[in-house]
Amino acid sequence: MDFTLKIWRQENANAKGRFETYKINDISPDCSFLEMLDILNESLVNKLSHPVCFDNDCREGICGMCGLYINGHPHGPDQAITTCQLHMRKFKDKETIVIEPWRAKPFPIIRDLVVDRTALDKIIQEGGYVSVTTGGIPDGNAIPIPKYKADQAMDSASCIGCGACVAACKNASAMLFVSAKVTQLSLLPQGKPESSIRVQKMVAKMDELGFGNCTNTYACEAECPKEIKCSNIAKMNREFLFAKVCTEENI
Amino acid sequence: MTTLNSKTPEGELSEKWTKYKASQKLVNPANKRKLDVIVVGTGLAGSSAAASLGALGFNVKIFCISDSPRRAHSIAAQGGINAAKNYQNDGDSVERLFYDTIKGGDYRAREANVYRLAEVSNSIIDQCVAQGVPFARDYSGMLDNRSFGGAQVSRTFYAKGQTGQQLLLGAYSALSKEIKAGTVKMYERREMMDLVLVDNQARGIITRNLQNGEIERWSAHAVVIATGGYGNVYFLSTNAMNCNGSAAIQCYKRGAYFANPCYVQIHPTCIPVHGEYQSKLTLMSESLRNDGRIWVPKKIEDAQAIREGRLKPTEIAEQDRDYYLERRYPAFGNLVPRDIASRAAKERCDAGYGVGAGFAVYLDFKTAIERLGRDKIHERYGNLFQMYEKIVDVDPYENPMMIYPAVHYTMGGLWVDYELQTTIPGLFATGEANFSDHGANRLGASALMQGLADGYFVLPYTMQNFLSDKIHQPRISVESQEFENAEKAVKEKIEKIISIKGEKTVDSLQRELGHIMWEYVGMGRNAENLKKAIPLLSDLRKKFWSNVRVVGDTTSMNPELEKAIRLADHIELAEVMAKDALQREESCGGHYREEFVTEEGEAKRDDENFKFVGVWEYKGEGQDPIMHKEELNYEFIKVQQRNYK
Amino acid sequence: MKLIQFASITKKMALAAFGLFLLLFLPVHLGINLCLLREDGGEWYRNASHFMGTNYIVKVFEIVLMASVLLHIIIAILLTIENFLARPVKYKVKSKTKTKTGSKYMIITGVVIACFLVLHFINFYFVKLDLIEGKYTAEIEKIDKHFQQKALKLQKGELNEKEQAQLMAQYQAISQVSQEKMDMSQKNLVNLSKEEVKLYCGEDFEEYEPDFYVMSQDLFSNRLYSIIYIFVFVILGLHLSHAIKSIAQTFGLNHNKYNYAIELVANSYAILIPIGFALIPIWIMYIK
Repeated sequence: MDFTLKIWRQENANAKGRFETYKINDISPDCSFLEMLDILNESLVNKLSHPVCFDNDCREGICGMCGLYINGHPHGPDQAITTCQLHMRKFKDKETIVIEPWRAKPFPIIRDLVVDRTALDKIIQEGGYVSVTTGGIPDGNAIPIPKYKADQAMDSASCIGCGACVAACKNASAMLFVSAKVTQLSLLPQGKPESSIRVQKMVAKMDELGFGNCTNTYACEAECPKEIKCSNIAKMNREFLFAKVCTEENI
Repeated sequence: MTTLNSKTPEGELSEKWTKYKASQKLVNPANKRKLDVIVVGTGLAGSSAAASLGALGFNVKIFCISDSPRRAHSIAAQGGINAAKNYQNDGDSVERLFYDTIKGGDYRAREANVYRLAEVSNSIIDQCVAQGVPFARDYSGMLDNRSFGGAQVSRTFYAKGQTGQQLLLGAYSALSKEIKAGTVKMYERREMMDLVLVDNQARGIITRNLQNGEIERWSAHAVVIATGGYGNVYFLSTNAMNCNGSAAIQCYKRGAYFANPCYVQIHPTCIPVHGEYQSKLTLMSESLRNDGRIWVPKKIEDAQAIREGRLKPTEIAEQDRDYYLERRYPAFGNLVPRDIASRAAKERCDAGYGVGAGFAVYLDFKTAIERLGRDKIHERYGNLFQMYEKIVDVDPYENPMMIYPAVHYTMGGLWVDYELQTTIPGLFATGEANFSDHGANRLGASALMQGLADGYFVLPYTMQNFLSDKIHQPRISVESQEFENAEKAVKEKIEKIISIKGEKTVDSLQRELGHIMWEYVGMGRNAENLKKAIPLLSDLRKKFWSNVRVVGDTTSMNPELEKAIRLADHIELAEVMAKDALQREESCGGHYREEFVTEEGEAKRDDENFKFVGVWEYKGEGQDPIMHKEELNYEFIKVQQRNYK
Repeated sequence: MKLIQFASITKKMALAAFGLFLLLFLPVHLGINLCLLREDGGEWYRNASHFMGTNYIVKVFEIVLMASVLLHIIIAILLTIENFLARPVKYKVKSKTKTKTGSKYMIITGVVIACFLVLHFINFYFVKLDLIEGKYTAEIEKIDKHFQQKALKLQKGELNEKEQAQLMAQYQAISQVSQEKMDMSQKNLVNLSKEEVKLYCGEDFEEYEPDFYVMSQDLFSNRLYSIIYIFVFVILGLHLSHAIKSIAQTFGLNHNKYNYAIELVANSYAILIPIGFALIPIWIMYIK
């Protein structure tokens, strides 16, 4: 298969970026999208030009490192996958593919298609945990957890922190990411004691970092590679309202 | 010369760890603040160690190669984590987990370490539950278990097919808490470039900031290496793209001994290679072998026809299929341990019965679907089937899956004593980066257990014991001569690589390395091939240092340069691996020498001559490393032949 | 960038709360409008308007309602600016993510509705507030009664000169009233200006108030206005199609057991309310 690639190139955060066009030929339909970029990069190195930088690591859809905005979709046109799980057979022969980095104010570009997503870690650091230290804890079975709740918590916990929800949202909001963690921990008895303070702190941090506001378009849900549901956001809103109105724990 | 003293405490096996903890030296809280620890790597082992040390009050700096600790490859572990909880009342105990791990490791692990691992395994589960890890539960609300290879009990705890992810996120959350508290400082997108020794003690590291190429110096009282395994030496493996053995090699070159480099685990159920451009291999969970049957065509002409696309696997009649695992190992059938299943697949493909491109066998669910129904299979393996279909574009409900073995885990690593300290004082190694508790072969669901055991429950004690002596040692400046020299050497090395401006891309050399390793130091090894590999590797090293092409500069993000630096280290590592494989004239666990087989074609261990850990000492550029031996004494366990027939 | 110093969720809840109040008002308004469909010469409609214009409880609600409208608009605009700033560099390829149309264009549909609201206020609400002059209707019976009272006074000689002159002018005006200002039933004088009302009824006639029935009949007889009106209500439907579900989501009412019910209410509301409103111009244009 042959493709025309339009790729965003930008030397560093302050440089002015531009789109560059590359032709790439004889790509197998079984080739993954990132392998296609590997092939492009090898050809660029052979021509002594700088290869396209893009984040990637596990290449099996779990680490959340890869993330490209391909033809108007975060992680490309397929459903419930990350960029590394996208295969070229999903494209038409001779198609023009436009590849852009995640765009959001809290995600500054480092180089080309690589963006800095540490903002997401900063939100977690505000309270996306149960404040236990190592040791001195009860037996794992000391507190029974209803199966459906454990399962729901697992669904929320399967977030891989790739930032596709932010990239997909027209407002660059991180609500799905934040709510997945808030929901997971508030469903479990271990996370309950801190749930009121957690939701307030994490939301405040999210706002401070410059993410947009949620307008319930559900674009995040549509593009989430792990199919995390927007019901998490509703649950977080509920937690937030409760924390503000019914508890004395205000930040 | 450092002698190999494992520092195993005296006494009964079950008492050793308790006694150690009771008699170790402690550091009072006021002094902890004055002691700095560097942790390199943010996987399960690194994150859990940093979080625990930070919570104790030490000043911790943690270095992450990616943008977030949550990217570490621990996240990709699917199956589960073992613990001897005996919640199922099926006769499990610390002793049994200990025994299974030693036996699974083909009697090449240190007894005391493995026993301790089994002992603390239970606390890991409690710790993770307390952190909010959503382990699978049954309808009573209690923790659920599943069974795994190499054990007769159900002791594996799991969170869907994403146990590694959930455990890593648990450790990551503990780490995040400490970062917020200020006890741990996080440095992301940094790669370790060298270890700095001051008075023969590990006192710091040199890193490269991957965002802008800056070379940075960091000092501390102790350094923990938690950088994972070196499976990427084979180029194609189930490891992530950023996994590398560079940090371990830097320590090795600074004087830390490297143990058992030849022990590499090959996982039997991976999606086969489909093209030259392929960058990595995807693992399909071992659990598939519970219901899938592995076969190749019985007639070589059928295999030929399949490879040429003239025949479909579904068209081959039942009597023309060779279920070779069931044929060779009637007792365990398709559920033989990983190393055995892998070798059997390779044997069939080498004999010309391979399907696909010649390097694949079928994993067929036809009988299982007939027996249990499609829905049941979907319920059990739905996500794996979907993953397979996404990658291969073949419906595994209708056609048999194609699988082939791939490099998965490295049992070898930096040599450590009972305290997880390497031969360099102040340098600790944990997780897959050390030579670990798995001997010559690791059992499924044990890697997560080891990483977390070391990080949460071993290092906080043993490091404290070490650091208690250092309270009078002041913080040292990174301006000292040792740091100066180390940084200079790193910069020179980078300059040298970038100024070669040769013809060969890093990827092409990496593939070449992978090819040599897979061909000659792969699943089946023999003296002839290993002897061939050593000169090939030194040629490759020369080729690299004279003809590699790295474009771009050193002062901005440059993945080509990163890969080149790692490749240089990997070539050196490959040479030690080949040497170690050559000296070990026996077959055990992941190390299979074709000359040493029983009459039935099974691995033949030589306990008389090789019941030791092969420990390699670096002797300088261009010099042959020397091997030391740590004899393994089994005081509490009876060494037996593994038998799965 | 934060333009208002509240948590994002707080802002979103405020937006939703004000929106919710507007949602509650819409059916009331629709109910009054539907009186136009009654062939009673506007009796019900006039009574309803009168009630809405004079009842004190309604007046309190009116203030809350107007505040809701303003705050709903202001918060929406500020949030939109904030959201715009959250992605300073836009994508080259427009998002192809599948989302509901209503949710994507809330601000655009909102602006259309706001523009219509301005027109609507000019046509009706400002008239009611007496900022703009509207059309009036005078009941002949009442004028007669009032006139006769004055005539009686005149006979008794209780009127001064000025008042006498006024009465004369009034008499003349009434006798010369044009045919077009008389409605068919001969009961009322319609389409009067404020001046004319004063002229016909006298300065001291207090009961006159703008006749919204006549005004709406007038407006709907304008085809262009009717088409704009129908268009706006299609847009409102789009806005509403997202509104209720979004409010539920914002306040955390998302539960597998009740989502279906919420969906049902939301969809019926978003369809029925705009249809109800649009029915009136359609009725007037094509059926009546």
